Amino acid sequence: MSMPGAIDAGQVAIIATEVFAAMIDREAGFLTTWSGGPLTVADPLYAWVDLSTVPASRLQLSTDAGTADEVTRAFLTMGRVEPVAEADVADALGEIANVLAGNVKALLPEHVEMTLPKVSWQSPSRDGARLNEVLLEWRGRPIIVSLGTI
Amino acid sequence: MRALVIDDSRTMRRIVADILSGLGFDTSQASNGREALDLLDAGDAFDLACIDWNMPVMDGLEFVVAVRARREWRDLTLIMVTTEGERGQVVRALAAGAHEYVMKPFTPDALASKLALLGLLPFEESP
Repeated sequence: MSMPGAIDAGQVAIIATEVFAAMIDREAGFLTTWSGGPLTVADPLYAWVDLSTVPASRLQLSTDAGTADEVTRAFLTMGRVEPVAEADVADALGEIANVLAGNVKALLPEHVEMTLPKVSWQSPSRDGARLNEVLLEWRGRPIIVSLGTI
Repeated sequence: MRALVIDDSRTMRRIVADILSGLGFDTSQASNGREALDLLDAGDAFDLACIDWNMPVMDGLEFVVAVRARREWRDLTLIMVTTEGERGQVVRALAAGAHEYVMKPFTPDALASKLALLGLLPFEESP
């Protein structure tokens, strides 16, 4: 398994923790390393940004629909009963992937370009992709951040 | 004061606009640099523009260059809102005429501090 620029899973976890603390929760401590056993996310929503490393790499966030809704609700400081639009979920998850990728990019020694974020219920991973998964827990809910070559 | 929030993510536009509204700004939004230029061309006057870097159609740097090419917009304060990975590129934006930058993720206090440094907030309101 490889990560661009030898970025390790611990660094990715730290970035994700800092991003969630600043942008989603407005305080630290709600995103932690997954403490349970093997993690399976049902019907995941994917958000990803590709980096022009050689070979190309991808930062990908995936989670289930309910968690995506709750993350969006927190991100947008929405009330408990306010409906979350699907477009808001896609935009919010895409922006989180964008910020995660931007902070990963900052660790790379060379200048690389980033794509605009994409969001889909279909996995963007393709044959040959080697994504390392960082299993995280946000308020008891599963979130997977993956990084690797594609 | 009036602020223009330019970002292709409506989530980020909403968040930045909410922060600025809380600081007393009247806000408008554009989803890329071209839309923002269209607003300025239409005669909308702003004191501040908060500009994302990575946008379709016209990115943040292109917008800064376009604004600085027009004398009538010389008083518009430009703040880049970027990810950490674009820190090196921010130098280009500052050279092109942007005044300041904030790195995503940022807190409302971080943005308020930048605005205070630029004299766009009363200092007693700065964190």
